[in-house]
Amino acid sequence: MLNTAGLSLEQAPPIQVPFRLFLTAPLFLLTAAFILGWQGDAVFVSRWSPAALAVTHLIVIGFLGQIMCGALLQMLPVIAAAPVPAVRFVGSTVNLFLAAGAALLGLGFLGIGQGVLTAGAVCSAIGFLTFLVAASVALTRAKGAAQTIRGIGFAFASLLVTVIVGLLLIGALNGWISIPRLFDFVTMHLAWGLLGWVGLLIAGVAFQIVPMFHVTPAYPAWLTSGLAPVVVAALALGSLLVMNDTKRVAFATFAIVVAAFTLFAAVTAWLQVRRERKRVDATLLHWWVAMACVAAAGIGWALGAAPELIGILILFGLGAGLPAGMLFKIVPFLAWFHLQHRQLASGRLDVRVPNMLKFLPDRWARLQFAIHVLTLLGLLLAWVVPALSSLAAVALGLTAATLGALILASIVRFRRIAEDLASASA
Amino acid sequence: MDVSLDVSLLEPPEPLERVLDALAGLADGDRLRVKLRRQPFPLYNFLRQMGYEWETTGAEGRFEVLIWSANPAASSR
Repeated sequence: MLNTAGLSLEQAPPIQVPFRLFLTAPLFLLTAAFILGWQGDAVFVSRWSPAALAVTHLIVIGFLGQIMCGALLQMLPVIAAAPVPAVRFVGSTVNLFLAAGAALLGLGFLGIGQGVLTAGAVCSAIGFLTFLVAASVALTRAKGAAQTIRGIGFAFASLLVTVIVGLLLIGALNGWISIPRLFDFVTMHLAWGLLGWVGLLIAGVAFQIVPMFHVTPAYPAWLTSGLAPVVVAALALGSLLVMNDTKRVAFATFAIVVAAFTLFAAVTAWLQVRRERKRVDATLLHWWVAMACVAAAGIGWALGAAPELIGILILFGLGAGLPAGMLFKIVPFLAWFHLQHRQLASGRLDVRVPNMLKFLPDRWARLQFAIHVLTLLGLLLAWVVPALSSLAAVALGLTAATLGALILASIVRFRRIAEDLASASA
Repeated sequence: MDVSLDVSLLEPPEPLERVLDALAGLADGDRLRVKLRRQPFPLYNFLRQMGYEWETTGAEGRFEVLIWSANPAASSR
């Protein structure tokens, strides 16, 4: 017998904790759209342009960072009976500091001032470090799902490296420390952030939720046990080589990482084709487009494609699409779970909680997906013809607004159903 | 008597819904034997709240949870 009967944990955090993070996140995608509309040409012409740096940090910290942290706060108890300590405080701190950090970094990169940029970096670091400490405590309590927990651990280590390198970069920009090859440090910051933190977290979570939500066969053991150690070892080796100026060898080690994620994308799509239930929903469609973007970015990188093109595929195709697809499952599941919990607590087993689809109808989620795909095409088109960037900006704004509206509508629906159930149980 | 329920090919939260339905229809003294692919941690919370006891066996990919009422007379609500 497994030791589960002895668990006396309050499994899920209060629903407001993840909901607040999920609701704030789309505002940053919307802000990125405004900057794209305002300084579009600059964003597409160079990844070093202030506007491109602002957009990148708004998406990665404000949008992606908040959703990833919010999802983990509620997912760790569900998949591994690992509740995050002081979850209310941690959720609010992460929400406040990541939101402020992303906004200030955005303003700082746009030239408001070095102090604002520094404040943005410090806020983001406080937000991420608070999350890392609390979620790492949760990981030590985890039961089962060993490969996912290990993968998340490696993702956490990568986030720590990303934050430290980011702070060093800010120190160098302020003239507090001297870094001999600043651009190589930027490459490390980017590689650990996108490949280590975002990539390994998505993969680790996918090992659990793809078989769970799409009823697919399990991921092969060689991938679940091998991916994270290989990626982190290659990133570490690549970083050392870059710092020693042996770029040709460093390229080979980064190629291992890119190949590993391209393989992960192919295996994910293959498992989803072999799923038990042949239904195609918006989440699955988002997965397919995101995995196609990962594979295209990997192949493009190997062929020497422009970093701006790879940026569009990873930051928008994967970074804005997959979180939306996951939220379409996470938000209704959370709503259902909390209401069911409440019903049981009040002893009313006869009044049932409505089906999960009632909280977020798939046809609306599909509409958001359609807008996402049009935006992706618009962004790719604007990369070729920068004059079209305002069109792409409008599409991006619409994607963000639709996502925000859908999350808000689900929460309103949750509240209404909660009231109905309370009056039915009275 | 043990009642068997296989929810291994259902997507969340259907396995939880099916188990709650099955428990509602369970006769006094009967036990429910549920097959699933992963550890249902959220279910344990529900079971504790409802006054059931359980025993989980198996490994990743094939778990079995045997559920019975801690207090048969009180659970037939």
